[in-house]
Amino acid sequence: MEPLTGMGVLALMGAAATIAGASEDLESDVGSQSNPNSQVQLAPQMMYPHRIYSKAISGEPPSNALMCAIGGTTASVLITAGASAVLALVIGAIVAAAIHGTYSVTAYFGRSASQKRFKQPVYLDLIASHTPVIMGYSFITTFCILVVSYLMVAVLAHPFSLPLLAFIWGITVGAIGSSTGDVHYGAEREFQNVEYGAGLNAANSGNIVRKAESGLRNGIDNSWFCAKFGGPVTGLAFGMTVFLSGWITALFDPTKGDAIGWVSVITGVIIVLILILWNRNIEVAARAAFGTYKEDEVEAEVAA
Amino acid sequence: MIDIVGILMANIIYVIAITLGGALISWSVHFVPVGGAPAAMAQATGIGTGTVQLAAGAGLTGLVTAGAMMQVTDNMGLILASGAVGAMIMMSVTMIVGAWVYTYGVGCPPASAKVKYDPITKDRQDLYVSQGTEGHGLPTVSFVSGVIGGALGGIGGALIYYSLMSIENGLPLVDLVGMASVFAVGIFFVNAVIPSYNIGGTIEGFHDPKFKRFPKAVLASLIATFFCSIIAVLSIGGL
Repeated sequence: MEPLTGMGVLALMGAAATIAGASEDLESDVGSQSNPNSQVQLAPQMMYPHRIYSKAISGEPPSNALMCAIGGTTASVLITAGASAVLALVIGAIVAAAIHGTYSVTAYFGRSASQKRFKQPVYLDLIASHTPVIMGYSFITTFCILVVSYLMVAVLAHPFSLPLLAFIWGITVGAIGSSTGDVHYGAEREFQNVEYGAGLNAANSGNIVRKAESGLRNGIDNSWFCAKFGGPVTGLAFGMTVFLSGWITALFDPTKGDAIGWVSVITGVIIVLILILWNRNIEVAARAAFGTYKEDEVEAEVAA
Repeated sequence: MIDIVGILMANIIYVIAITLGGALISWSVHFVPVGGAPAAMAQATGIGTGTVQLAAGAGLTGLVTAGAMMQVTDNMGLILASGAVGAMIMMSVTMIVGAWVYTYGVGCPPASAKVKYDPITKDRQDLYVSQGTEGHGLPTVSFVSGVIGGALGGIGGALIYYSLMSIENGLPLVDLVGMASVFAVGIFFVNAVIPSYNIGGTIEGFHDPKFKRFPKAVLASLIATFFCSIIAVLSIGGL
């Protein structure tokens, strides 16, 4: 393939992946999925009943992998039957979003109803207002992942099938979403009632913020906040993963010989080394800017 | 009738390679700094997700890059290296963006609660751990450990895929790729789950005391993957 064409396809894949990452994180914030949901589930038990949509269908990676594999399989069947690729990908994503919506509703009912003894209400209007948003986000995520997978199969001639690639990217986007954007939701948004700039003190577990800027806080309020930082950076992370892992072989095409293949491997290692140094830079800068949480006992004694 | 012993003996080298690949994945998971649910609330050092999930996310990204490389070359070293690089890139990108969120979104510096000094940078750790937490973020040692984990997991996944693709069989290429890739993903998950019993939710990396438990998981993975490899080799080799 022409290097320029390869680069163009990769850029498109990177853009689609960035949108997929951002919408994946915001979907998990609206529905409160993944690890921060442990606090949402704990809250009623600590006598803090709330109005937050609590769906933990499963961990984010399996849930997204299921969604994307369903979408990929539907699209693959339709393409084999002669449908145009765009139509097939859209219908695949709609089917996936519908199934995800079903799981969301049953998960919300199950989670909330099981906490009846802690006086946690089941809000029917939350189902009506939040489920379409969740399905909308899951449609965007699935569609973008299907675009990435389809481009890999159809243009970059990747040997894996469309459903398997969609499954793998679903696992990856879920893993990235739950590792990056969810921290913004779990460590910051859920606990804005404690002082900024520290991890959650175990003593505050379950004491999540329940009041919003206006009225009671719900999942859509959470996605409004996380859309300012957590969502976009998740998108960047997934976009970078998809783009960089393909970019090194697009730049140094291994079809031209093993030597060039090795150059692509070395380029990848250099990227990783740069990221290690960047992390070190952030670590040093953060420590200098924020300072310590406690005094060094030995130094304190010497000073005394 | 399928000649079970014949197929196994003809592909014994691949049975061994798949088993070793599984053990490598099992070992690699111990390197990955995961803090589970507590890390999502900046209550524990590491990445805020589950062990299996992150290891699988990285390893499978490596499998995608290795699969693409295998289509254009037969060089085993290059295929394994490209699997390692794919997984390392996913892991390091996830960790650097995680570091952004901990530092700029939550406002806490990276700190380990398991060691007083970072073994790589020699920086003091305990003073930077906020009250009521077990550390937060990704200090340099955890980041480097995660990159090593990603590399080993990528190599393990790629080794399994390479071995499955090399088994003698009568399948058309497209079916062989389909079966080999699904078996590779399945064997990957088996070996990503086994170490999570050792890790029990949180591990900071190779400096964590829990890391020393890895021989048990590796042994368990060797046994489990051996059976998986027999099934995989018979399934693909018998067709």
